[in-house]
Amino acid sequence: MSAIAHAAASLASLAPAGAALPLQFTDALIEFLSPTTLADVIVRGIAEASLYVMIAAGLTLVFGLMGVLNFAHGSLTMLGAYLGGLVLVTVVAQSTGGAGRLLAFGVAVVVAFGALAALGGGLEIGLVRPIYDRPPLYQILLTFGVTLVLDELARIVVLFYGLQPTTVWQDVLGTKPAFLADSLGVAGVSASGLELFHILFGVATVVGVHLFLTRTRYGLFVRAGGEDSEMLSALGVDVNRVFTVVFALGTGIAGAAGVLLAWDPSWGASVPLAAETLLPAFVVVIVGGLGTFRGTVVAALIVGLVDSSMTWWFQNFVDFTGLPEMVVFLVLVITLIVKPQGLYGVSEVGGH
Amino acid sequence: MILAFAAYPGVYALLVNSGLSAEVTALLPRIETLVVVLFFALFAMSFDFISGYTGYLSFGHAAFYGTGAYLVALAANGKIPLLGPETPFMLLLVLAGVAAAVLALAIGSVSFRLSGVYFAMITLGFSQVLYVFMRDWDFVSSAPRDGVAVTGTFEGFRIGVPGVDGLSVAIGQLTGDSIEGLFGFINLSPTEVSFYAIGAVVLVCYLAMQRLVHSPFGRTLIAIRENEERARAIGYNTYAYKLGAFVVSGFFAGIAGALFVGFRRSVTPENGFYFLVAGDALLVSIIGGFGTLAGPLYGELFDATVREFLSKEGGGGGLLPYLRANVGDATLATEIYNGLTVAEAIDTFLNGHAALYVGLLFVLFVLYVPNGLLGTARDRMGGRLAKAVPRHLRRWFDG
Repeated sequence: MSAIAHAAASLASLAPAGAALPLQFTDALIEFLSPTTLADVIVRGIAEASLYVMIAAGLTLVFGLMGVLNFAHGSLTMLGAYLGGLVLVTVVAQSTGGAGRLLAFGVAVVVAFGALAALGGGLEIGLVRPIYDRPPLYQILLTFGVTLVLDELARIVVLFYGLQPTTVWQDVLGTKPAFLADSLGVAGVSASGLELFHILFGVATVVGVHLFLTRTRYGLFVRAGGEDSEMLSALGVDVNRVFTVVFALGTGIAGAAGVLLAWDPSWGASVPLAAETLLPAFVVVIVGGLGTFRGTVVAALIVGLVDSSMTWWFQNFVDFTGLPEMVVFLVLVITLIVKPQGLYGVSEVGGH
Repeated sequence: MILAFAAYPGVYALLVNSGLSAEVTALLPRIETLVVVLFFALFAMSFDFISGYTGYLSFGHAAFYGTGAYLVALAANGKIPLLGPETPFMLLLVLAGVAAAVLALAIGSVSFRLSGVYFAMITLGFSQVLYVFMRDWDFVSSAPRDGVAVTGTFEGFRIGVPGVDGLSVAIGQLTGDSIEGLFGFINLSPTEVSFYAIGAVVLVCYLAMQRLVHSPFGRTLIAIRENEERARAIGYNTYAYKLGAFVVSGFFAGIAGALFVGFRRSVTPENGFYFLVAGDALLVSIIGGFGTLAGPLYGELFDATVREFLSKEGGGGGLLPYLRANVGDATLATEIYNGLTVAEAIDTFLNGHAALYVGLLFVLFVLYVPNGLLGTARDRMGGRLAKAVPRHLRRWFDG
């Protein structure tokens, strides 16, 4: 009757019928488990996981401290992609060498981080702070409204400057150093330079956020504030300022992630990027357990690996293009059914 | 209010033909837009029924809307066993509601183990699974990404009293009935017929939901919203109440989806299942008044009016044609800043960018008018408008 019944019927019809199925399945399984394929899938999965960590890290920081689920996070990533792209397009010339282009990328990341952090801080002071005492529903609503405004503003600017006849801003892709597009082969396992770049960047972010949380004074406040922000303010910490700083940091990371995505041909700078990154970021943050950074990293790895292996399966075994994408949300649904608080979540945080 | 809606097409026609013609076409929504307002308001009401009354944000509510819409579209194309293209629309309407309610039962029974943000996310997750699935499932049409158009039947879908042919009319943008000479002097275009027919269904659904809200069942939902632990302590099985409300809400969302296809004759994954459809319902609920059943209607009316006013095509009215017709070319060509002319500025900042202004307004509402239009009006008047307005008027005349 309902779509679920349809789903079952269609899944049955997707697989080749009859006795041929087990044989094909075994073949596919053997192929999948061969070291090169497996390593390939794993590398690709980790590269994807790095992207997911990048787009989810800021979200988790903000939620962990303040309990605000920031719906505008995706839009901030999108703004970061455009801003970083703008820097890249302006700075990088045809003749710029590989090292120069990497340097330009660094500049773009810094610019996007700074600008988005400033915007995020402003948003926190102007809009989010007045409603901390309301039910969390209103903070979700507010950031949802901010998304609408930011997306539409971006669309106006993009249309006005004619940046985008196509959905992906092609000029930015052209500013990549050539060696990122090459694929590097080690012992039969091939990975594109871009994937390795993603992994490097993702690992750097994880290490950076981890150091921030465990080694700095503000990191201490974040961890303490997640437990009990009233007690934190009773101890003489200016909680409002901590909130602003963390919100700015979270949006800054979103901006940096955007710059990374702008170089990736499968994402690219575009207005719909806002929704496209917001949803996986939510999945990662929720699966990991809201507000725990460790959970976010683990969840990103899970989602990345599941996604890359499902992509492989559905390219080589059954033909249903949308399924890998669907699997990401299935991971969310299944996790919440089995473990309602996410992998590392605490129930009090979910009680919002 | 019902009367105002019923009179609108007539008043609109009168005004269009009067001296204020240009202003009216620019400012007031077309009848066609109002039809959309009606069925989308029904969807927003069903969203408000669960989210506004129990406080559980159902962020994947589009799943039920889409289910209803796809069921009608597929049945009309003969893709559903036992439901041929000739199945009466009234039956499809109910079946769409039932299908969505069954889906709501399945999703809700799992989701209501969670609360707060987690509940919003799991419902979002379910609806996105369905969205991606519908987008790539080649059974629904040869190009599932572009959605389904009704091709199986070329007649309009008929709405009416079952069994009484004389009281049923065909609706739809392209293929509907027009009525001439009703009571000797009323002539209605197909769109106006659709307006009244869909309006009647929406009214019935609204009254049914209103009945539920004012019943002990609805009071319990509000108790859950205000303090769920206390409601449970009193002895209510809150899980059953929430699930029941979710199923009812899914039922009416399914009907709204069915009406949508009945009028538009096509549906795509983007306007049926995508999570931003639920986002739109949320938006109009907040503007109209969260937790007031009629509020979403006002919110949607407002939203649709603004969107049409700022629509890019300016079809049937709106800002751009009005300005083109009434502002001199010299003014339009005036340069404001750095080569930007007035016409270009209008094009850049106003035309087709209603989402920006609606979004800004939404933020302002969340910050300063959390009860929305209707909720705030009720607070001011001290009670429900139907009762409070006459009371105030009486005091005015007496005092």
